[in-house]
Amino acid sequence: MKVLLVDDEPLARERLAVLLADIGGVDIVGGAGNGREALEIAARERPDLVLLDIRMPVMDGLETARHLGAWDSPPGVIFCTAYEDHALAAFEANAVDYLVKPVRGERLRAALDKARRLSGTRAHELAQAVDPGRTRTHLCARVRGSLVLVPIADIHYLLAEDKYVVVHHARGEVLIEEPLKSLEDEFEGRFVRIHRNCLVARARLAGLTRAPDGRLFANVDGVSAELEVSRRNLPGLRRLVRSL
Amino acid sequence: MQRRSATSGPAWLPQFCSGPTLFAVMVVAELVALVVVLAPEPQARVVLPRLGVVSVYVQWLALLNAVVLCSLRGVLGRLDTRGGYVVAWLVSLLVTALASAVVCRMDQALGLQLSVPVGEGRRFVFANAAICALIAAALLRYLFVLERWRERVRAAAKAQVDALQARIRPHFLFNSMNTIASLIRTRPAEAERTVEDLADLFRAALGAGEAPGTLGEELDLVRRYLHIERLRLGDRLVADVDVDDLPHDFVLPRLLLQPLIENAVYHGIQPRADGGTIVVRGRRSGDGVEIVIANPLPADAPAKRNGVALANVRARIGYHFGARADLRVEPGPDTYTVRLRLPETLAR
Repeated sequence: MKVLLVDDEPLARERLAVLLADIGGVDIVGGAGNGREALEIAARERPDLVLLDIRMPVMDGLETARHLGAWDSPPGVIFCTAYEDHALAAFEANAVDYLVKPVRGERLRAALDKARRLSGTRAHELAQAVDPGRTRTHLCARVRGSLVLVPIADIHYLLAEDKYVVVHHARGEVLIEEPLKSLEDEFEGRFVRIHRNCLVARARLAGLTRAPDGRLFANVDGVSAELEVSRRNLPGLRRLVRSL
Repeated sequence: MQRRSATSGPAWLPQFCSGPTLFAVMVVAELVALVVVLAPEPQARVVLPRLGVVSVYVQWLALLNAVVLCSLRGVLGRLDTRGGYVVAWLVSLLVTALASAVVCRMDQALGLQLSVPVGEGRRFVFANAAICALIAAALLRYLFVLERWRERVRAAAKAQVDALQARIRPHFLFNSMNTIASLIRTRPAEAERTVEDLADLFRAALGAGEAPGTLGEELDLVRRYLHIERLRLGDRLVADVDVDDLPHDFVLPRLLLQPLIENAVYHGIQPRADGGTIVVRGRRSGDGVEIVIANPLPADAPAKRNGVALANVRARIGYHFGARADLRVEPGPDTYTVRLRLPETLAR
């Protein structure tokens, strides 16, 4: 069984590795210090199981599990945490298992057995179980098989096209398969709707320009494309621009 | 209450010999004199000269009462509150009556005509005693209620400070245990030292409500704490500590600095993928010390911390040092600085 170890503390990863070696039958495919690194390694190595710490810099364990769960044939997830977190309650049922640190060898063995039986089947449900109040720090996309993680702070605007949303960000653009509406709800306050098909990063909104034909366009820092503002979203947008 | 044991006497009776209380007594006495002078009476008299005479007399009575109550503090202290209340009231009544009788007799003997004509001495003494009885009753009752209220406030503050006693985050305990579990096989000596450090930290946390400690002990705890965190976070945590100038025998509540350092690690280092440097600087400042703790901010830091640890430390220094202690937060664009100033002496 291929296992990925994710914890921001090197000693904690070391301990898990020692315990797994004692148990045997496990191939450790890598160690990651945060969720972002974990997703990158997981995309490359395709582990069967991820041992995931909750509290980590850059991207925490819960968000990492959510991204993993959205993949095709996702790995199983076992959470490891130092201290009970009530945010975990919803996940406990859906994660393969949930271990508290310092992890006991026999508990880890039992969790591995469970993971072998269940494999990735629960991961999709795990992704679903994410508390709707939690917002992700990254959007996760696949480009020709490889993984692209876009930090929310780097996103300029989101444009809906057919069944995709195009994420325009500081280093290019990627397609994700998520409805614009759910993105708007999740990142409320971070993005502002200017059109039925477009959300703009509030922090980058610089002003409005009227074209000779009377149509209105939003000026967005770092964006040269013309983003049209719809009549319906205009009043709210005017108020926002005035308060800038 | 330990504070009171130093000055024997009942809780509800203020120190009448102390300056502020004497001043308050004189103010009340002067108000009484004004009331007496302003009260309408059959024969109109010039107000100002009469105010002078009445003031001198009332002030004299008031100070006499204060001195008597002050010297009787020890006796009153042996009675229960209610009994002491009654005795203090009777004493002031008696003092006023006696003093009035003496003044009246002297006035009549000298023929100054400042008090009352001959034959009305008995009425004069009675009236003075009655006025005194009313005012003393009101004043004593007021002092009693005031002291009760103060005691309640003090008890609440103490309870709050007790409840706020430095806590170490549970995460830290379990993470440290995990660190030790990792070290036991590979680096047993390091594991041993970590257990010792952790024991010292928790001993300090459990005893934090008791006697104050010294800055030297506190800096030791900070060093032990940082040692554990460095093991846990590896290269991500760099500590730049320069506190050589600080007096090691400076007295302060236990576990005052460690929570601030823990905050810096928790909010400043842990959320950063590449960690950072915590800067601690300490120096003497005037008659006290100044300690500055700075940490880098993570890229996507929440605009406002909930500030539990800061509020805790602020409440504790307020309780122990009074208004001269100060904890200031200086949030910068990419560093977060906390400046702690403590005056020389503990208030209690």
